[in-house]
Amino acid sequence: MTEQRLKIALTKGRVEKQVLPLLEQAGVDCSQVRNKQRRLIFDSETQPYEFILAKGPDVTTFLERGAADIGIVGNDILTEHQSTQYELLDLGIGKCQFVLASTADFDPVAPRRKIIGTKYPLITQRYFDQLGQDVEIVKIEGSVELAPLTGLADAIVDITETGTTIRENHLQIYDYLQPVSTRLVVNRLSLKQHQAAIFDLVDRLAAVVAEPKPKELA
Amino acid sequence: MLKHLLPLGTRDEFGTRARTKQHLIAVIQAHFKQRGLAPIATPLLENEAVFDQYQMGNYQLYRLLSNNGRTLVLRPDLTLPIARFISATNVPLPQKFCYVGDIFRVSRQLSGSYNQMTQAGIELVGYASLKAELECLTIANQLSAELIADAVEIELGDAQFAQRVVASLTDNENNQQEILAALFDKQLPRYAELIATYQDQPIYDFLQAWPRLFGRPVEIFAQLDAAPLPASVQPSLQRLQTVVDWMQRTMPEQAVSIDLSSQAPQKYYTGLTFRGYSTAGAGYLFSGGRYDKLLTNFQAQAEPAVGMGLNVDLLTTLATKQQTSLAKQLLYFDPEQWPQAEAYLAQQPNASLSLADDLAGAQAEAQRLNAELIDLTGGVTND
Repeated sequence: MTEQRLKIALTKGRVEKQVLPLLEQAGVDCSQVRNKQRRLIFDSETQPYEFILAKGPDVTTFLERGAADIGIVGNDILTEHQSTQYELLDLGIGKCQFVLASTADFDPVAPRRKIIGTKYPLITQRYFDQLGQDVEIVKIEGSVELAPLTGLADAIVDITETGTTIRENHLQIYDYLQPVSTRLVVNRLSLKQHQAAIFDLVDRLAAVVAEPKPKELA
Repeated sequence: MLKHLLPLGTRDEFGTRARTKQHLIAVIQAHFKQRGLAPIATPLLENEAVFDQYQMGNYQLYRLLSNNGRTLVLRPDLTLPIARFISATNVPLPQKFCYVGDIFRVSRQLSGSYNQMTQAGIELVGYASLKAELECLTIANQLSAELIADAVEIELGDAQFAQRVVASLTDNENNQQEILAALFDKQLPRYAELIATYQDQPIYDFLQAWPRLFGRPVEIFAQLDAAPLPASVQPSLQRLQTVVDWMQRTMPEQAVSIDLSSQAPQKYYTGLTFRGYSTAGAGYLFSGGRYDKLLTNFQAQAEPAVGMGLNVDLLTTLATKQQTSLAKQLLYFDPEQWPQAEAYLAQQPNASLSLADDLAGAQAEAQRLNAELIDLTGGVTND
């Protein structure tokens, strides 16, 4: 019988940096990923894992198409891209929050159709649907804070970790939406095909995540 | 941009893939015919209301407007049109239908998914006996062996089990639906929050283990035996045990598993459900189950029924990968040698006739097609 290998799609950048220590504590050898140079795919010789480094939205596409068995990605992207795969574990890293923010003169209850800038049109639409408000959404790919400052939008919906970028751009927070963190997601059929191997990894990671952090110990 | 490119999510099928798909369809249709199933073909276009019961998930419908302003759709499913056909005609029941046809579901743009899919299937309508499920499972077992070389695992489930367990927890329907959604999507962080309410109840250990309630029957039944489950799920579990025992007796080589933590393939299912997958495929090869109430959407009287659909495109992908390609042969011959060429063709599945008028033309044709040229003229042509 051939060894079953798990393809793990990992969001490159900040998520990658935060998740590698967790994987290592869970006994996964990540040395190839740490010494990646310009490579994006890593096949471990010692363990049944193959790592793929990709942007967050692409991690969801790899999972949906069955090109990866496991994905590690923020739930902001999972929600926005309407992921239909299994979300097995909250890794407790990459914690931040969706907020509604704008300039000081913004009136959230002004009786008019507001223009909202965001990278997350679906999440924004759902938020304003819950409020019963019809808004015009403008999709912005980066530096969302610019939208209210330049008059492109009345307000923005974006994620923030500490609120620093928002404050430094002279914006203020008007409402808090759902929290965000990094999740371990599994392709539905992969879970059937590699049940034991996937649950083994999930259980090891869950034990690491549940361990008290240094701050909590103090 | 070029005007004549294909719309997103569609494809042409040509050469090996087209040939493989046609072969698979021929095998499936011959199998259906041999079992005495009645073929049915329904239109690609239906009124949108036919699919009111259909769960589209992340898909959309292709919608068109008719001359009189009614909304028509390209069918996303082949079971509901057959239910519509039964309710609108006096076709005698029970009846065993079979079909092969295309369905259309608009997936997320630029996701790499195709919007037109070929499905084959059977609908056994008017049969209340468990024998109907067993005939579907027999067909699934036989066809998977005939169509692909990969081992296929058949996974059994029950459309009512999860609903009955959550109904025993709470009368609050919103809470029931939230738990089911988190369970079925295995959104485990959310699921853990929702079941925390029941941590003082004897069923809590089962609730914690429930998202992993899939796998080998012997292990799943052992877990179920130890759990304080409501009496309302016992008929479902007894039926599952009966089917597993029957499969192990009649098709002992068939890998079987049970999944009681997933959603039924469609919400119109009411009893036993089943799906099949191979270790190589990125999707289910077939799925089906009992749907005893589907016809009440179209007529007053319910009819017991069991159906199953096969994903012909995924079967084709797997079968194409497994094919060892034979070298093509091209036959050059004199028109007087036509019977001889035909005899050669009949024996060589990878040969075809060169229609070139001379040997040089045949040689050029063979080169273009990367084929071996078989010259029946022996260099002597009768031009």
